Parts: sequence; structure tokens; C-alpha cells
Amino acid sequence: MSDGMKRRDFLKVLGVSGAGAGLVGCSTDQVEKLMPYVVPPEDITPGVATWYSSVCGECSAGCGTWVKTREGRAIKVEGNPNHPVSQGALCARGHASLQGLYNPDRLREPMRRTEAGFQAISWDEAESLLLERVRGAGNRMALVTGKEGPTLSALLDGIVETAGGRRVEYEPLSEAPLREATRLAFGRDIIPTYRMEDADLIVSFGADFLETWLSPVEFGRSFAQAHSVDSDDNKGRFVFLSPRLSLTGQNADEWFPIQPGSEAVVALAMANVLVRNGADAGPYADLLQAYTPDAVSQDAGIPASTIEELAIAFGDTTSLALGPGVAAQGANATATNLAVLVLNAVAGNVGSTLDVATENRAASSASHRDLTEVVEAMGRGGLEAVIFYGTNPAYALPPGAGFGEALGSVGFKVAVTQQMDETAALCDLVLPARHPMEDWGDANPRPGLWSIRQPTMVPVPHFDSRPVGDVFLTLARGLGHDVPDGSFHQYLQARWEERHAAAGAPGGDFDAFWREALRTGVVTLAEDVPSQPALQAPDRALTFERPSLDGDGMALVVYPSSRLGDGRGANKPWLQEMPDPVTKLAWHSWVEMHPDTVEEMGLRRGDMVRVRSPHGEVEVPVYPYPGVRTDTVAISMGAGHEDYGRYADGKGVNPMRLLPGSAEEVAGSLNHLAVRVQVEPTGQWRRMATIEGSSDQFDRPIAPAVQIDDLREGIVDADRYPLYQLQGGGGFLPVPMPEQGEPQDFPPPFAQYGDYDPEQHPRWAMAIDLDKCTGCSACVVACQAENNVASVGEDQLMMGRDLHWIRMDRYFEEVDASRPGPVDVRFLPMICQHCGTAPCEPVCPVYAAYHTPDGLNGQVYNRCVGTRYCANNCPYKVRVFNWHRFSDVPEPLNWQYNPDVTVRDEGVMEKCSFCVQRIRERQNQATVESRVLGPDEVIPACQQSCPAEAIVFGNIRDPESRVAQVSQDQRTYRVYDILINTQPAVNYLRKVTFHPVTSIEV
Amino acid sequence: MATATDKPRGAQTHPDIRSYGEVNEDIIRMLDRPGKWWWILLGMSIAGIGLLAFSWGNQIINGIGVSGLNTPVGWGAYITTFVFWVGIAHSGTLISAVLFLFRARWRQSIYRAAEAMTVFAVMTAGLYPLIHLGRVWHAYWLFPYPNQRLLWPNFASPLVWDVFAVTTYFTVSSLFFLLGLIPDIAAARDQAKQGTLRHRLYKSISFGWRGTDRQWHHFGKAYLYLAALATPLVLSVHSVVSWDFAMSIVPGWTTTIFAPYFVAGAIFSGIAMVITILVPIRKIFGLEKYLTTKHFDAMAKLCLVTGLVVFYAYLTEFFMAWYSGKPSERAVFWNRAFGHYWWATWIMLTCNGIIPIMLWFKRVRYSIPALFVITLFINIGMWFERYVIIVTSLSHEYIPFAWNVYRPSATEMGIVIGTFGWFFFWMLLFIRLLPPVAIAEIKEVLPPPFRPKKKEVAR
Repeated sequence: MSDGMKRRDFLKVLGVSGAGAGLVGCSTDQVEKLMPYVVPPEDITPGVATWYSSVCGECSAGCGTWVKTREGRAIKVEGNPNHPVSQGALCARGHASLQGLYNPDRLREPMRRTEAGFQAISWDEAESLLLERVRGAGNRMALVTGKEGPTLSALLDGIVETAGGRRVEYEPLSEAPLREATRLAFGRDIIPTYRMEDADLIVSFGADFLETWLSPVEFGRSFAQAHSVDSDDNKGRFVFLSPRLSLTGQNADEWFPIQPGSEAVVALAMANVLVRNGADAGPYADLLQAYTPDAVSQDAGIPASTIEELAIAFGDTTSLALGPGVAAQGANATATNLAVLVLNAVAGNVGSTLDVATENRAASSASHRDLTEVVEAMGRGGLEAVIFYGTNPAYALPPGAGFGEALGSVGFKVAVTQQMDETAALCDLVLPARHPMEDWGDANPRPGLWSIRQPTMVPVPHFDSRPVGDVFLTLARGLGHDVPDGSFHQYLQARWEERHAAAGAPGGDFDAFWREALRTGVVTLAEDVPSQPALQAPDRALTFERPSLDGDGMALVVYPSSRLGDGRGANKPWLQEMPDPVTKLAWHSWVEMHPDTVEEMGLRRGDMVRVRSPHGEVEVPVYPYPGVRTDTVAISMGAGHEDYGRYADGKGVNPMRLLPGSAEEVAGSLNHLAVRVQVEPTGQWRRMATIEGSSDQFDRPIAPAVQIDDLREGIVDADRYPLYQLQGGGGFLPVPMPEQGEPQDFPPPFAQYGDYDPEQHPRWAMAIDLDKCTGCSACVVACQAENNVASVGEDQLMMGRDLHWIRMDRYFEEVDASRPGPVDVRFLPMICQHCGTAPCEPVCPVYAAYHTPDGLNGQVYNRCVGTRYCANNCPYKVRVFNWHRFSDVPEPLNWQYNPDVTVRDEGVMEKCSFCVQRIRERQNQATVESRVLGPDEVIPACQQSCPAEAIVFGNIRDPESRVAQVSQDQRTYRVYDILINTQPAVNYLRKVTFHPVTSIEV
Repeated sequence: MATATDKPRGAQTHPDIRSYGEVNEDIIRMLDRPGKWWWILLGMSIAGIGLLAFSWGNQIINGIGVSGLNTPVGWGAYITTFVFWVGIAHSGTLISAVLFLFRARWRQSIYRAAEAMTVFAVMTAGLYPLIHLGRVWHAYWLFPYPNQRLLWPNFASPLVWDVFAVTTYFTVSSLFFLLGLIPDIAAARDQAKQGTLRHRLYKSISFGWRGTDRQWHHFGKAYLYLAALATPLVLSVHSVVSWDFAMSIVPGWTTTIFAPYFVAGAIFSGIAMVITILVPIRKIFGLEKYLTTKHFDAMAKLCLVTGLVVFYAYLTEFFMAWYSGKPSERAVFWNRAFGHYWWATWIMLTCNGIIPIMLWFKRVRYSIPALFVITLFINIGMWFERYVIIVTSLSHEYIPFAWNVYRPSATEMGIVIGTFGWFFFWMLLFIRLLPPVAIAEIKEVLPPPFRPKKKEVAR
């Protein structure tokens, strides 16, 4: 040994001095102290996620969720697999609830209106002011809320009971007519439950059950079970009757483009046919007499024979009729709902697919008329104080309702809200509410089914918010309502203890029960369910005929948006940027018009038109859409906000401005189908923010389909790609060739590089069943949440620069609005195919795109210099580029970022990574537990989120894995593999149709 | 005008030049005090460089998103202009090296300007790979420099080949240019006033040239070897550039004819640019004696030949797209001719295919104004050729749902226009500082004088 410095010592000195230099060099203006956990919180392990069960608050379906938190911050929402409503899946809006939590436009402190606009005040001042004014109002007080959980709802009801006044529930997307129709037809004042999974023929009278109707996630799963082809090559049929093809309709096998408002008479005519064929219609037999298919054919705009055939099929199988949904609610809304219920009853579906005994308690049946009564009272000066919580009538009501003016004559208006909105902007006092993810609450979506919504994190410190329940508890106490001391948390727990005791104390003592409820997110408390009722005669007269519409011109369909819902999703950039599943447009509004109409008017796509009804007008660009009748136009709800934060304001138009604001007579619902509109060109044109290039696949083998008859005979030319090829792939070992010489048997042996032992490595692969995929785009947003995919905004999207890792391609194969017949829309979630011989890899000059030993197509963001050659050479066009620093989002929106995934800077390429962080996390977990990783253990975000369970992921080299088994299906194909030999790791399973499809050689 | 009819050898190329001394005077006179037009043009060029600096600065600060590029069309005006300039750069080496080896004597008058153009065009082209990067500050990662992480560039990537091809070409063409300049700079040095900056510059880059036999001997050898070295580069550089496209799997790019097609196109555009540049130089400096219509005729013929090759390649591309039977390939070419970018394609076909037909006529080839106009059209057409190849192909690939169109943004146009300023800035400096016509070589083809009027420096 020499006496000089040893190598190890040298390195130590180097390290220490280097670190010192680094510390000095990195001095910033602000000295930040990094404090380790001296006493670590019990449930936080740095680097390991903690999950809390909760309930989604984005719509009133009541999906159970699991919220993933890291180091105390909520970063992802997933469906709770224990929960019978969500069953582990979640929709796009549920995922985006995180952006409500971290929305930079949330209220930061209580505010009071003064001469100079809103001024911040303290919570103490605010609460005493609230109490003083509400107490002063006495019974001249109204409490307007959305659909709330049972405990909060009871508290609110208690307040008005004690203090006088009135509580009104108001939800723009309300199923009041369905509830009223159920009462009329069956004597039960409930919203019934549907068991779609058991149906072989589903007929939807415009119900968009995959988007907004009642419980989209739950229906997404049961629809997939009913409608996708099973292992015996059986497949349920789905017929959609509506003037406009919604996303739900695009998943139908047949579309009857009936006249707007004629749903009721068609349903009655179908029941008529069934009765003629011997079915029992009970008290409705006389009513049905008049509605023969011939009699309604003219009115509905479809041939009588078609109605007859459908009716016979409906009677012959296990069937289910659904509808009509919010968009079809017109002056005959209750009658239409009743007609559909009667049709179900006549076909014998009550008790099998239609469950009238079990109540759907989650869905809102708020009556529009209740609110208009309050508005009238306000206008008369009959109200002294109004409190709004969880609802935004100033935005959602048509101007004809006169809400704004009426509110002006109320002495004291209070909004308890997370964010400034159109209603809060008119109020005198605005109180920042906790987000559902920071707050206590509960849900009771079905009889006996209970969930607790627990806070998943400490309230976001940027916002001085208070729990809604605490605000109302304080108010209740001040008003003399007899509520115990303590917080709403304690109040909620006390109510649960009562319920637990009342249900016979299942599961022993309450503490254990409570903990179990918190842990699993869902518990059952036994409740008696009555037997299925029989049809009964309605106790009031109903009009089934098509309602007459105001004005002249084309009928206007105003439908709820699957992205923005009734408008409350508009403040979330993920939802604004999510391409609409139907039109693929984002950020702005559009009017859907049939291409023939568009051509006839001399318009083109993107031309701005003025849509004018007798009640108002809006200016929107034209989207030529073959899925809408030529005499009908459609505009989506949810856009056109004026005071709802930076992401919502000025984006699109609010079609409610075109509606009269009239209520249906029976159930009091808002008439959505109420006007005809004139469409006038303005001479302007705008570039639309869309991801859609062409919706015609030009006979290319991208999204092929197979007719079910061919499938049964085994005529699917898909066997040209033996699975072994893919199993051998990965780029690191030669293909196990049964015989040599096939050109597609690449990669050749020289493609093996690196010293990897192929036996040690899996080959990650995915299978996507296009027969199940409904195009709902939940995966798109789930992926955004998981992988820190940035939103780019309207201008960038207009240039074609969306960053989504999943592009939900949509091709129109057969969409014809002129006749009832087959409809064929193909959805194809296009993600990085993780090709075995990836075209992107060799062209990268710096090895930023490279192949991992387990077959992943890796992308090293830090190495990328941004030549974009890889994206040019990607045949699937799944590589997206950070043209600007899109990841730079306003605080605290960045709190959502997943710490396991790099946040990408400008100038780098990115794409789907197969959720490599989840793969590594599972692998590490398996290593820690000294076991072999299971074949199906890794679940990427898209698969996790998919309500239809269309996506399967795993190690395809393991024959036990589900992905290997699913990929054996005869429907399997890989996009463009034969043409360009990319050897994708994503196996698609063809869509199965009932009608013949043009064969495309794949 | 006295023509040297008794000296038939010189009469073939430069009938109006009477003596060696006249050559020296005429050419070196060009390096004297510049005229008004030179200053105006220089001012415009510097303004162009300013625009380039501003636009590029804007892009670096605000991200490459200030361009009009998008997801299917990842390359647009930048790569178009890159290929355009690399193409322009081809004529210089062709004229100086290939024609030198083939002993085409008409090259003497034009090769210096063509070579200068080559060097400056490569300097311009070389900016674009930097400009189009998303993270230009990491551009050095494309070079195989030794680093602690043992990371190399990906030698399989055509972009890395590009780096080598372009840098090699720049090195060799610069050396070739500077080598050929030595005797002429020495002549200029001897006429420059002692002690001036100009004199010192000439002194340093003439490397002590005295015109001895020994020096001439070495010079001749070196020139020949460099010409032989440069000749394959004429073919290789643009072949490599074409492989940026041909090696991909993009329909409309992935075709085997790209290398010869691009080389022919490069020579076509290069010669056209030489004509475009020489016409005003000839006019402004009164070089009619040196750049005769015969020279232009020869260049026009070369232009015509390469133009025909290029047009043939266009037709072949369309034919092969149809003959391949590949739907995506067919769709790309259908889209080229009749789709969103039909106008670009028809500009390309008209400028490069139809207009050069006029060069069949001798009267056109001998008409300087006609040539100037035609070559301007060719320059425009060749820019659009690259635009058509790059943009239409990328916008219309395999997945119809991902199709999209691209429109260049103001920043991109600023950069494209700015690099013309950058190119002409160097070009203008060149004609002021270095002899733009090869003095020594012109003399080679002139008839030897009866007796020297004064001591000849160069020979």
C-alpha cells in the first residue's frame, strides 16, 4: 500500500467538497429548511401511497372511490372495487374531481359584498352576519341546495323545520319525471333500479346511460356485460331510439332516428304489439289500443314494420327499455317515462331487468318547478334571505326563469361554495366550502347500502375553507335547532351510530363497524325491500303525443355533456380538454347539424352560425355530425360560463339561453325539448379545437369488425399473427420460430442486444376488447391523472397539440339518420403500442427512445433533445410533444402531480409508458415480499378506470396471465402489424356487429 | 471591341479579355470601395440577421411551440429550409470538384462564387438542425463526445448520419474553397495597401504564397486530391439527407429513389441558385467579359438535365405510389396532388417541371434575364418540393384519425427569411473581401501574353 491517499478516501473528500460546492452554488433568495419527520405520522411512509375510501361528489350517482394520497396530498381517485355502484371503475368526471380540490380559482377566504365589490372578512364575522340575517328573516328564508348526502340533508331539513322557511333541492340533471312516472305506473315514489347486465335486448329511448343518465359508471359495466360478446359468441343487442345519436347511441347496434318527442308513442306502439301478441297490459290495455304501429309511424318518422319487429324481439327475449333521459325531457316527459315503464311491464321485465322495488336513492329527482316557485317568491319580495349550497341556478336556469332579477330583490343572499360561480357572484356573502375530498359526508345510493365520505387530506392550505356541515351546524344552533355540540364529523358519527343501532347493530360494536365502514368505504345496514309492484292505472291524465315546440325551424336538442355534466365540470382543465366522446371537440361549444343540412345551407365545418330561438340566441361553430336528424340540431350543456374561474369563463356557450324555462306539468321538470331554432350563418369561421383528423378509416385495417355470424363460424382472418411471435418479442431475444424464414418472424437474432437473460424478463402487453369499449374516455383522464399529463388549452388544441397519452380514435362506419337501421361507430383507444420493432427507437439520435428488457418502449425525458423524429416515424401517432412548458400550472393545481412520474419540461417528447411506475412498484413490492410477481398484478391506470373492463394488462409471456388468454381470442389483431412489422404489444379484439361488415384484410 | 482573334485558345471562353493584367485589375477592383447597392443589400442582410436573432430568441425563450408545428407534422418549414440550403450547397462542390476532374473548362469563371455559395449555404443549413430542436441547449448530445456516462449518440439514427455528413461537407468544402483562394488572395494581398487590416487578412490567409513553381506544384496536387475527396461528398451528403426521410416508415418518405432524386434535386437547385446570384453580380460589377453567355448556357444545360431527372423522379414517385397498392401510400400522393396542400404541389410541379422546359431553347439559355427569372422560379419550386415532401407526408399518415394540417407561424417565417439574410450577409462580405472570380484559373485559359506589361504576381 502506498502512503498516499486511498481511492476511497479521495472519493469521500471529493464527495464532501462537491456537496459543499453544490450547496453554496445552489443558494436561493429564500432559505428553505428541509425537515425530516422526527416523529413520523402514523399513516404516512414517505414514498408509499396511503389510500382512503370516499364517495365521489361530482354527480349524484354516488360512486364509491379510493383516494390515493402521497405524503399527505391526494393525487389520484380510483373506483372502490368493494362498492356496488362504481365496482372499481370511475368516469372522467370522477377523476377530475382532484382538479376541483386543487383548483386555483377556489375561494380563499369568506367574502362580503360591499360598494367596492367583494371584500374579505373573517370567518367569525361571516358566521355572525349569516346568523343575524337569517335569524332576522324568520320563515322568509329559503335554502337552495343540490342533491346532498343523507346526514347533511337531514340537518338542512332540520334547520328549515326549526327556523321556518323552505328548503329546495335543485339539480339541473334531474329525473323527476321518471320518479313521477314510477309513482303513477307502480304506486312507488322512487327512481327504480335497472339490471342491464341480465338483458339480451336493450332499447334506449334516448337515455344516455353511458354518459350522464342516473349512474353512468355502473351502467358502463353492466352494459358491457350485456352487450359484449361472451365466450359462447353470444352478444346482447342494443337499439337506440332518439333524434340524436349520443355516445350511448354510438354504441348501439341499431339506431332509429325518431322525431324529437315521439319516444312515448313508439314505446306505447311497441307495448301495443306485445299486447296484440298476448301480453298483459293490465290497466293500460285500453290506452294502448289507440297506439298501433301504423298510427304512430307517421309521428315517429319510422316505418310501422320496424316498430313491429323491434316489439316482437323485445317480447321474445329478456329485454329492457330505458329512457328517455334529460335531453328528451319535453312537455310529455312524465308520459314518456311512463310509456317506457309500461312497455317494460308489458314485456314482463319488472322483477327481472327492471327492479321497481329497489330504490335508486342517489339520483336526483329535484323538481324544476320547486325552484321556480322560490324564484317567484323572491321576485314578489317574499324572501328575506336565501342560502345556496352545491348548486348554481344563475347559470343553469334559462333566462326566462328570471332568476337574476328575482334574486336582486332578496335582502340577503348567501352562497356556501367551493368556488365563485354565477350564483355566488350575485350573493352578499360568500363562504368557502370544503371540497368533498376534505370533508365529512355520507351516501346512501341504494336501500341498505351506506358509504362514508371521509376527508382524504388536510384541507388545502391555500384556501381558508370550513366544512359545510360545520357552517350549517353553527347556523342551526344559532337558530335554536336542537343539535348537539361538536363538529359535523361528530354529528355524522352520532347519526351513524343511531342507524347502526336501528339496523340491529350488525358487526358488533359501533367503533368496529365505523372503522370497517371507513376502511372498506361501503357497509350494508339491513333494510326491508318491498316486493315488485304491479302496474296500476295512473291517477292523472297524461299526454303522450309529441309536444309542440316554440318557434319554427329545426328542433333543438339540449343534452347534458358527458364531460362537463350540467356545467359544474367546466372549471377543470382535464374535462375541458378531454375531447368530447361524440364530436371529439374540446374547450368550446358547437352545434351538431346533419352534413346534408350543413351542405344545403352552404356551410362548412367550423362556420360560425347564430342559433336563434324565440327566447334567445347563441353563436357557435357548426360541427357536421351524421348522427343527428336533418331537421334537428343539438347543443351540449355545461359550457358558456361567465364567472366560474379561469378555465370555464368564456369557453363556449350556454344553450339554456335558448330555452323558455317552462316546466313540465306533471313532474315539474324543465322542458329541455322545447324550442325550434333558426340557424343563420354569420360569415365567420373558426378553427375548432379537435383531435379528429378523419373519421373515415378509408378501408384501412385500423378498427376492423366482425359480424357475429362469421364469428360463430370462426371466419375471422386474424390467425396470421401467432401469439408466440409477440411472446418472443421485446427486442431482446430471438423469436422462438417453429420454422424459419417467415418475413414477419422478426426481430431477427441480431436484434438481441444487451446482456439480459430473456427468461428473467416479462413481456408487458395489453389487450383491448373493442367490443366492450364504449369510447367513454374515462381512461383518457385517468391516464392524465396518473401520469402528470398536462393540459394544453384551447389555442394549442386548435393547432393539434393535445398531450393525451390515450387518443380515443373514433371512426364512423355506418351512421345514417335517414332510416332506422344498423349503426356502426368504431372506437379505438390508441396508445403507445410498445412495438417489438419500434420505428421510433432507431431514429432517435440520442437514445431517448429505447427498448427495455421487459419489452417496454421507454422514453428518457431528460435525454430527449426534441428532434421529433420519433413522432414523425411513429405510425400510430401516439407520441406527443411538449411544445411549451405546459406542466407549469398555477398553484395549487401542481399539488396533484404524481411524485412517481416525471413532470415533463418543454421541448421533450412523451407518450404512454404502460404506467411503468406501477410496474416497478409492483415488482419492488414482490421483491420485498420475496415472491414472484403474479401475472395480473400490475394494473395500469386506464385498465383500473375502465367501466367496461375492456382493457387487460399483464405479462404476455406468462400463459397464465389474463392478457395472454384474452389475446388468444380469434378476434385479436394488431394494428398495421402486417404492413409495417411493428409487432405491437397492444392486442385489439375486434368489435362484433350484427350487420354484415366490409371485410378488411388485417 | 478588340477581340483576341489571334489567340484562339482564349477566344473560346473569354473573348473579351485582353491581358492578364486586365484580369487582376478587373477582379481586384471589385474589392475596392463598395457602391451604394452593396451597402443597401448589406443593410438588408443585417436586418435579416436581426430578424433571425429575434425570432430564434423568441423561440428559445417561449418554446418551440411558437412555430406552427403540431403532433402529426413534427417537421415543417425548418427542415424544409434545411434541405433547401443543403441542396443549394451542392452546386459549388459539383462545379469546382467534379467539373474540375472532368476538365470542363467553363467552370473557371463561376466556380469561386459557387464554392463560396456552398460554404455559406452549409453554414445556413447547419443552423436549422439547431433551430428545430425542442431543447437546443442540449444539441451537443448529438456529437460523440467523451463523457463520464459513456453515452454515445445512436449511430443507427439518420439524424446522427446527418450531423456527420453536414459537418464533413462543411469541412471539406471550406478547405477546398480556402485552398483555391490562396493564389488569388496573394494577388489581392500584393495590391492591397501595406499595413491595412485588409492587407493583414490577405497576408494571413494566403499563407505566404509567392507563386513559385514548387508552390504551384503542391497547390495543383492538393487541389486535385481535395477535388477527388470532395467528389463523393457531392453524392453522399444529399443522399444522407434524403435518408432522414427514406429510412423512416412514413408514407411518402419511405422510398428507395430518394437518394438519387435528392442529389439531382440538389444539383438542380444549386445550379439555379448560382445563376440567380451570378446574374446581378455580373451586372453590378460589369463582369460580362468573365461571365459570358456561354457560361450561362452551360449552366442552363446542367440545370435542364438535372431538372429532367427531378421531374422524372416526381412522376416515378406518383407511379410507384399507385403501383405499390398500399392504401396509405396512395392516399398520401392523392392528397399531395388534390388535398389540402395541392397548391404547394402544383407550385413544385410547375416551377421544377414545366418552367425549365423553356431551357430546351437556345435563345432562352442565352438570354440572361430569362435565365434569371427561370432560376428564381426553380429556387421557389425547390423550396416547395421539400415542403411538399415533408409536410404533406406527415400530415396524412397511416392513421386517418390523427391527420392534421400545419401552417407555418410568423416566427418560422421570420427565421426562414432571416437565414436568407444570414446567407447573403456572408455572400456580400465575400464579394467585397475575396476575389469572387478565380483570377489564376481564368489566366490559365487565356492566351499567354507576348510580353509582360509589368511584373506578374500570380504567374
